[in-house]
Amino acid sequence: MTKYISARQAGIIAFLCILANKFLLLPSYMFKDNKSDSIFVMILLFALDFAMLPILLKLKKEFPEEKLFDILSKKITKPVTILFYMIFGVYFLFKTLIIVDVVYVYLKQQVYQEDFLAIAIMSIIPVVSHAAVKGIKTISRTAEFFLLLVIIGFVTCLGFSLFTTLNMPVLFTTPAKVFFSSIYKYTFSFGDFLVLYLIIDKIKIKKGEEKKLYKFSLSAMVLILSLFVLYYAKYEVTSFMHNDALSDILVFSVRFNAIGRLDIISMLTIMFIALFEVEIFCFAFCDCVENVFPLLSKPFIVAIFDISSLLCYFILIQKYERIVSLFSSWLSYVGIFINYVFPIICLTIALIAYFSRKKYEKLVDGGEK
Amino acid sequence: MKGKLKKIYKNPMFFIFIIILIFYAPLAIYSPGESRNRGVVTAVGIDKLGDEYEISLLTFIPTINQSFEEQKSIISGKGESVAQAVYRAQIAMGRKVGLFHAKTTIVNEELLQEDVTQHLDYLSRVASLPENTVFVATNKTAKELLSLSQISKSNTGLKLEQIVGFNAENLYVTDTSLEAFYEGYYSDVKSSIIGYLCVEEEGSSNVFASVEKASMSEDRGSDMSQEGGGQQSGKKKESLINCGKSILLKDGKMAEILDVDMLNAVNLLNTKSLNQIIRIKDVEKNGQILNLDYKVLDKQVIKTSKFENGYPVFVAKVNLGINLVEVEGAKEDVKFNTELSDINKEIENKLNNQIKGNFSKAIDMLKKNNADVLEINREFFTNNRGEYLNFIHANGGAENFLRHVTFKLIVSVEPD
Repeated sequence: MTKYISARQAGIIAFLCILANKFLLLPSYMFKDNKSDSIFVMILLFALDFAMLPILLKLKKEFPEEKLFDILSKKITKPVTILFYMIFGVYFLFKTLIIVDVVYVYLKQQVYQEDFLAIAIMSIIPVVSHAAVKGIKTISRTAEFFLLLVIIGFVTCLGFSLFTTLNMPVLFTTPAKVFFSSIYKYTFSFGDFLVLYLIIDKIKIKKGEEKKLYKFSLSAMVLILSLFVLYYAKYEVTSFMHNDALSDILVFSVRFNAIGRLDIISMLTIMFIALFEVEIFCFAFCDCVENVFPLLSKPFIVAIFDISSLLCYFILIQKYERIVSLFSSWLSYVGIFINYVFPIICLTIALIAYFSRKKYEKLVDGGEK
Repeated sequence: MKGKLKKIYKNPMFFIFIIILIFYAPLAIYSPGESRNRGVVTAVGIDKLGDEYEISLLTFIPTINQSFEEQKSIISGKGESVAQAVYRAQIAMGRKVGLFHAKTTIVNEELLQEDVTQHLDYLSRVASLPENTVFVATNKTAKELLSLSQISKSNTGLKLEQIVGFNAENLYVTDTSLEAFYEGYYSDVKSSIIGYLCVEEEGSSNVFASVEKASMSEDRGSDMSQEGGGQQSGKKKESLINCGKSILLKDGKMAEILDVDMLNAVNLLNTKSLNQIIRIKDVEKNGQILNLDYKVLDKQVIKTSKFENGYPVFVAKVNLGINLVEVEGAKEDVKFNTELSDINKEIENKLNNQIKGNFSKAIDMLKKNNADVLEINREFFTNNRGEYLNFIHANGGAENFLRHVTFKLIVSVEPD
């Protein structure tokens, strides 16, 4: 089996990363600051995020076979690269924890009605650890297999919301200051293409296949934006009360005697998306540690992930309020670095490499003549 | 095949799977059924009785019986807070309270004298009361209403949710769920309309069910309630009456009880609100003085919002398609007098006056309570945003806006 993943599989990974922690808590959380204008905040943040994709492709073109760690080590020295990778590690660790916690709270409310942490840990950790050990190829192939199910589930949830009363969301109510400060505040929820940067050496993109990456990324963005629009159209001023957007948009119906059993659709969709996301982010964390400590074996690194995630969960998070505040506290700095600083560095590196190559080709052409 | 099995056997995930099975399979097999731990509540009643709160839960407990009837009982608990009352009701039930299937939430009038959200918050945010539960108030206690609804069901087959559902579809027209209440409550104008069901002594019209209160012996809550929770009081006959009323809430408190006519007047601009009967008296036709009843079959409404000389003006053009359904006069019958269906100038004026008069009363009532359930604020915000924002900034905010609005109603009626 080849170690490379195809452009389609890379697109699926981008698709899942873009959905990450945006389909449950984020719509209601953003509503508190921006009301329905959160839709515009999302569009702007997606646009900024989307700019990471052409930079990635440019970098891939200039360094087709090289690992990101090697590229950065050569250009910005190894210690700085290690520092970068440590920041990436923190980013992926917390992103995983946030997804797990939000989904855990959702399942607690919807299914268990009581704490089931032991069951959750026992069921998540072996599956995620196994996937991380097996590598990105396995994860992407599994995700590819279940992709259609995920998309159908997501679209069904959106579709069912059309059967209830929808009102045009009231837009343009947020002051510019609040609007732009939200871009800083919610930036940690973005930076979804970073995983593709980490696995840049493992992606095989044939000529003309770049559009697959664009296609999957745009589809995920459209799905999330549709969710935001329908969710605000459905709940309006009470959006802040409904913390599980994708589930609430399907389950709750203002119609009398609404069918409640449909929630199984959203439940399965949410669980599949969350599982793949956690696997991808766990793998990405392990990749960061592997590059910083190259002598460690894969199972050992996965064990580090398991222990550190459990420690962080019990010490730092556990409470729902804390995770909500984490979104917009110091993690925003990490988000700013990953969303804006890191792509600019990558773009600079790619451009320097491009001009050097051009210069070299010119020299070679001149010599031959 | 052997090779495949060997491969599976060597896989560490296989052993993890086996370990999980060993731990959880017996637990799953021997754990008791959900219904043994949880009582399924189909309706919730909250009463404020002096300083105490009483929660009454219409609970379905699955039991084996030979009929196909659902065995439901009312279980109640009292406490100094709603949470405490639910806790005590849970003890009385001997099960956890499961509110997922609660279709109706009833509160008594006394509870609505204070901001009701402070009591509902616990139920909806912590105890998982679904927001699509229909929110209804009653004049007596919610517990009595629930008891009577059960008797009504066994006597007439009419369920509480059906009565409320009928009202929601035909009278309130607007959504009266808990979610709709919250939407009104958290909006700038903080007002909403909820349903209202009466418990009256027998003798009133429109009685859906009647029963002697002494037969409420099923009430297990009365055993649990501390200071004499059971309120059995002799042999007085009381009935659950669908009086078609509703309650206007402002800031979560009861502001006004709206009767059917007032509710219809409030709903005049709602195109879904149809089938009302408009009665005009003393119309001269064919040399006779008649009383005529018209039914609204169709409605078209065009709303315009504008500012005139710096003041908000709301213009509504209502086109009603009506049908003459009853004629009261000397030997007149609508079936044989098709000419009576014609709407002459006098009838048109009378209908106009009737509709405008009712609407004017409704607007005065809404203005008095600062309760913009007609979403006039939204209309101006959408169509005249700049002027609207300046106006509310200078005149005490969105809450007071309705008081400043001049309403112009243009009604045209035509036979449908």
